[in-house]
Amino acid sequence: MPWQLLKYGFKRSHDEPRFFPEARPLKKQYDVVIIGGGGHGMACAYYLAKDHGITDVAVLEQGYIGGGNTGRNTTIVRSNYLTPEGVKFYDTSVKLFEDLADDFDLNIFYSTRGHFTLAHTDSALRTMRWRAEVNKHLGVASEVVDLQTLAEEVPYMDLTCAGHSPVLGALYHAPGAVARHDAVAWGYARGAYNRGVELHQKTRVLNIRTEKDEVCGVETDRGFISCRKVISMVAGSTPRITEMVGLSTPIEIYPLQACVTEPVKPFMDTIVVSGSLHVYVSQSSRGELVMGASVDPSVLHSTRSSFDFTEGLADKMLDLFPFVSRLNVMRQWAGMSDITPDFAPIMGTTPIKGFYLDAGWGTWGFKATPVSGKTMAWTLAQERNHELIEPFRLSRFADFDLVGEKGAASVGH
Amino acid sequence: MKLLDCPVIGKRPISEFDYMGEIRIPPVDADEKTWSEYVFNRKGAPCSLREAWYHRPTGRWYVVVRNTVTDEIEAHVDISEVQYELPA
Amino acid sequence: MNYRLEPQPYEWISRDKTIRFTFEGREFQAFEGDSISSGLLANGQLILGRSFKYHRPRGALTLANHDANALFQTEAEPNVRGDVVALEPSMKLTACNVNGTVAKDKDAKIEYVARFLPVGFYYKTFHKPKKFFPFWEKMIRSKAGLGHVNTQWDAQRQSKSYAFCDLLVIGAGLSGMQSALAAADAQLNVVLVDENPFIGGSLDYQLAHEPRVKALRESLKESVSTHPNIRLYTSTLAVGWYTDHYLPLLTPHGMIKLRSRAVIHATGVMEQPAVFRNNDLPGVMMASGIQRLISRYAVKPGQNALVLTSNVEGYRAALDMFEAGIAVVAVVDMESIAQRGEWAERVLAKGIRVLEKHGIYEAIGRQTLQRAIVAPLSGESCDLSKKEIFDCDLIAMSVGWVPAAQLIYQAGGKLSYDDTLQQFVPEFLPKGIFVCGRLNGAFTVDQRIADAKAVAQEAVAFLKGQKESRDLTQYRDTTAHSHPWPIIEHPKGKNFIDFDEDLQLKDLKNAILEGFDNIELLKRFSTVGMGPSQGKHSNMNAIRVLARSQGLGINATGSTTARPFFHPVPISALAGRRFRPERRSPLHAWHEAHQAKFMEAGVWLRPEYYGASSARLDCIQEEVEAVRSRLGIIDVSTLGKIEVMGPDAARLLDLAYTMKMSTLKQGMTRYALMVDDSGVIIDDGIVGRLASDQFYVTATTSHADATYKILSKYVQFCGLNVRLVNRTGSLAAINLAGSESRKVLAPLTSISLSESNFPYLGMREGLLCGYPVRLIRVGFVGELGYEIHLPHNAALEVWQRLMVAGQAVGIKPFGVEAQRILRLEKGHIIIGQDTDGLTHPYEVGMSWAVPLNSKAWFTGKPSLARLKSSCQRQLVGFKLAQGAPKNLVKECHLVIDNNEMVGRVTSVAYSPTQQCVIGLVMLDQPYADTSNPIHIRVDDGRLIRGERCSLPFYDPEGIRQTSAVEEVLV
Repeated sequence: MPWQLLKYGFKRSHDEPRFFPEARPLKKQYDVVIIGGGGHGMACAYYLAKDHGITDVAVLEQGYIGGGNTGRNTTIVRSNYLTPEGVKFYDTSVKLFEDLADDFDLNIFYSTRGHFTLAHTDSALRTMRWRAEVNKHLGVASEVVDLQTLAEEVPYMDLTCAGHSPVLGALYHAPGAVARHDAVAWGYARGAYNRGVELHQKTRVLNIRTEKDEVCGVETDRGFISCRKVISMVAGSTPRITEMVGLSTPIEIYPLQACVTEPVKPFMDTIVVSGSLHVYVSQSSRGELVMGASVDPSVLHSTRSSFDFTEGLADKMLDLFPFVSRLNVMRQWAGMSDITPDFAPIMGTTPIKGFYLDAGWGTWGFKATPVSGKTMAWTLAQERNHELIEPFRLSRFADFDLVGEKGAASVGH
Repeated sequence: MKLLDCPVIGKRPISEFDYMGEIRIPPVDADEKTWSEYVFNRKGAPCSLREAWYHRPTGRWYVVVRNTVTDEIEAHVDISEVQYELPA
Repeated sequence: MNYRLEPQPYEWISRDKTIRFTFEGREFQAFEGDSISSGLLANGQLILGRSFKYHRPRGALTLANHDANALFQTEAEPNVRGDVVALEPSMKLTACNVNGTVAKDKDAKIEYVARFLPVGFYYKTFHKPKKFFPFWEKMIRSKAGLGHVNTQWDAQRQSKSYAFCDLLVIGAGLSGMQSALAAADAQLNVVLVDENPFIGGSLDYQLAHEPRVKALRESLKESVSTHPNIRLYTSTLAVGWYTDHYLPLLTPHGMIKLRSRAVIHATGVMEQPAVFRNNDLPGVMMASGIQRLISRYAVKPGQNALVLTSNVEGYRAALDMFEAGIAVVAVVDMESIAQRGEWAERVLAKGIRVLEKHGIYEAIGRQTLQRAIVAPLSGESCDLSKKEIFDCDLIAMSVGWVPAAQLIYQAGGKLSYDDTLQQFVPEFLPKGIFVCGRLNGAFTVDQRIADAKAVAQEAVAFLKGQKESRDLTQYRDTTAHSHPWPIIEHPKGKNFIDFDEDLQLKDLKNAILEGFDNIELLKRFSTVGMGPSQGKHSNMNAIRVLARSQGLGINATGSTTARPFFHPVPISALAGRRFRPERRSPLHAWHEAHQAKFMEAGVWLRPEYYGASSARLDCIQEEVEAVRSRLGIIDVSTLGKIEVMGPDAARLLDLAYTMKMSTLKQGMTRYALMVDDSGVIIDDGIVGRLASDQFYVTATTSHADATYKILSKYVQFCGLNVRLVNRTGSLAAINLAGSESRKVLAPLTSISLSESNFPYLGMREGLLCGYPVRLIRVGFVGELGYEIHLPHNAALEVWQRLMVAGQAVGIKPFGVEAQRILRLEKGHIIIGQDTDGLTHPYEVGMSWAVPLNSKAWFTGKPSLARLKSSCQRQLVGFKLAQGAPKNLVKECHLVIDNNEMVGRVTSVAYSPTQQCVIGLVMLDQPYADTSNPIHIRVDDGRLIRGERCSLPFYDPEGIRQTSAVEEVLV
């Protein structure tokens, strides 16, 4: 047993420090207001304080810390993207993730499992090779593997796919990992709080005040805050915020659903994704199979569940893993994905001075948590876009200079 | 599964439809900015959205006003009300 | 000791049918109808499992499908709920999550270190140093999970069905039966479901010995079972509520997907545990769980019982136990006996001791319950100076209830905490959702009957379109049935809030102290409510603990979101029958008979090539060679085929395609390129004109339906007078390609194939082998060729006759692979392979297909006008040196220049015609504009040099497909 635990056994009282502050009054003014107390918002607050010494910061969260998409995703971390800009960005994130537990002194259960993206068609296999080649060129470990390798690595998978659309090969991404999503947000929150950042839960932003296209403050349900820099890091609520400053964006909100089975003894150590079947699955450290599919077909600002989702997912799962028919699905849930036309995020400065955007996270926001916090903190401090996020600037749409990630993104969370 | 109650064909499960999103009319002779906004930008905030649904089995389009928070269909719109002309 | 009782009036077991089964290798006997748990308890097997974290012994708790600590492993399934799943003959059972046996679990030593494992301990350790985490993780993973999965199990799929009704009533207890009956009498089409194999609900266990309900019970059961307007489903769970009253009903035979117009929830209440030290010992049960055991299975789980209560239900349970021959050593009432009325009198009349204003301080026992320490309550803690110790092997907890309101929450309903009842009750209900019974706070028989009748009336009115919402509070009880704080502190803890997750009172308190002071955060950090029972008996006490710590009321504290499913659902039932539609061309059988190797193309199966897979490449090369030198024939039935008719037909095609179609001459075809609003290429095909108002359009295999949809969108949104017919499935298509095509085809058709009558790009209608056909003279593969579009049922005969007619010239069927090489030699792109999600026509050298000046409008025009000047990539042809290995360069290998990526190979193949490897690369600007040789990085990392080539590689003048071919007139 690790020695860190000894102290808990020999103390009468539980005098662990608080992760988060108790509710306290809002100040009248802050240097920076971060809207959204999810992983991204907390990471941004943390790096603002840690990297740039900016601590006069308030994070405003309408619910509770990590209660949005941070706590609703399937916790997969990977960097096997298609475009160089995507690969560089997410690779930076993977590297930050690897050191987070040390940074936080908090175990985020970052667990490198290896990630297989299955190809069932020629064209999918081509895309896998494309991703592998781009990844390798940029120093990211991805390779196309054949059926024999798959049979060895995932021996319980039915490669014939029950006789229809058999698996032809896969993209293997060794750094593919999972992490305890909540703990990532909590770690960042605790680190930010310990460095002097204020966290205000149950605080809803009602409006953002601007003067001559320049931010001058934020109206909340707890009063007005004067500030010159506001960043929106609210994923599924982004259009509500951008509407406040009159900013038009391509973002649309689609629900993304996921579900878990009852816990069973771990048998699946890797992460498996099939774009053709629209499923992805990993087994959590509690023993639950965590499963997801693609986003729902129509716009909706709601986290309601649908039965079609679990039905479709169960059906497709059995093609790959026939034996899971004996497991029970315990719980399903949904998050609101902020989807962009080119499946890449929208980050950085905006035409409104002092208003910064970190949005368009679609179905892949969790894996970007550290890097978006890091780069957005830099961007806020320097008042210009960090080079890693320049390709993701909002103006790329007006410039017809989109990110070419669509080719790889049929499903790949 | 949600039901979409359409004129003529009645209540049909939503799985028979393709969602085609907000009704948008191409701005002919627009400047570059207006055009790129038309192409990419969307009315993303919660609202009563006028949108198009395509019924695959019958090949027919339906226009409804849907509340994008509650998912309720608030009205059916006759397609003639949203028809537009394009230069010949 | 005998645990089986004399026959009970409503028991579920069949005493004439004995079932033999084994548990942990030991043989047991029980009766048909016994659940796994009751069967084991009947044999005196009180320990049914071990807990998730500390591996503490656990027994039965609820017998209501919530016993997450009595999960069993069978040969066919993990995590089987022992409390409700019926025993089957020869079952071989073990307990889940046990290392050894339930009596001797080697992992129980974890409990000795429990004090070192505070709530969320795993967040605070194992991560330092980093390199050791994988080791710890492996250890943690080995302890995780419950049952075992056998990866050799086959896929089980249960079929599904659909059902419809006016009104679904969930729960066939007193309230559910009564409301279903009233609604059915009002001519509604009612479905009544109950999760149990028999209807009756609490009437049959909590009120089993109550003479006053005997007649009512019989009449209700009889009526709902025989009423013509009621469909009754037993052993059926409504597992979730979804939009528009869509409720999956989980039956033993599969899922029924029910669409109802309204739903009455008569789901009752779920009993909640009291929290005291060792409240998890086998022998400590919910009072209602004991009553279920007695009434349903005629099993008594102990001999000497102590009742801990704060409501009349506890007294009733005491009487039931007394009747069953269990010695009730005392009733410990946490409140004053004065509130219990006649029930208290009846208990006292049996000589049972009642200790009012007392609590249980601690349960004691090695492995199972042996004694309990009872003491007067002083405030909320026990006054130990007056403690009393009772020997007992059974504690019945009857301290409160929560409504089974999960489906109401899912539907968007709201509940609020009622301080009179000390229970959540419905406050706001969405349209078509109704409630009655104990769920709604109606507790006495009279209240429940009145509430059920009133709700039926309300639902009937709603379905008739009348707005008649009733006062939900009308029949609610005026006394509490739940204790506001059924929690007794103990310095040594082990007073469990959550049995699934092994969470003690202090765990929740400490989590709150660390800042997780919001119900959702508390849940996520402590995992309260996240186990297999999904908080059914832990959430309420967690809310109470949090509310108190924050000095807030229960309502202000709130509850966590209820999400589907109400109860875990097997994937076999969710998956249903496997249904993967696959489209086959009318020539499929012929292809099969001729050694075709099939590949998937969207939903279609197409021949990839013909011949032995061992000789794949040779087969493909021979097919290519046949087309180039003589004659090939390919099945292209998968092409999208759309008829476009009407006065606005030309106008429609002008809008949808880049090139002008209105100028197309009758009898001619034109290449058709489709882009989206942003200018990205999405489809191509040909458009042919049959008459001034009639066109025939083809689309790529995978985009056929989308193209039809896009065309129909313009028709309907631009108000065009056009009729569209999607003939993709009704027409077959065959491409006859090669210099001999005209010679072979001519004798079989009524259409004159002469160059003057039927030029390149022409389209003609006529007869072929007596069938009406359209011939189109196009050349995707770059030879003289004819695409034959013909009725589905004519395809086989025509194909066979062409094969016979072509025999003399050496006709050869070819597949998709050969076609890919042939088109590559001609430099034709394949959309989706040579293009990606951002490719526009200028990048693939198709500026000729974008008439920016001559056309006023087409979809994507303004975007293309902008993109024209900012082209960032260019598709370029290349070839490798002769003799270079054929398979070295693959599609999607990168082009490297100065160690930078400057492009990728989109298509590559060995060209038998060119005698070298040829391909297309998408190169970035400005590199594309240079004439430098390209270097392609192949699998082993080597850079392979390729020379740029102009396109097409083959027959750049296009002579072979146009007029210069030798005229053969018949």
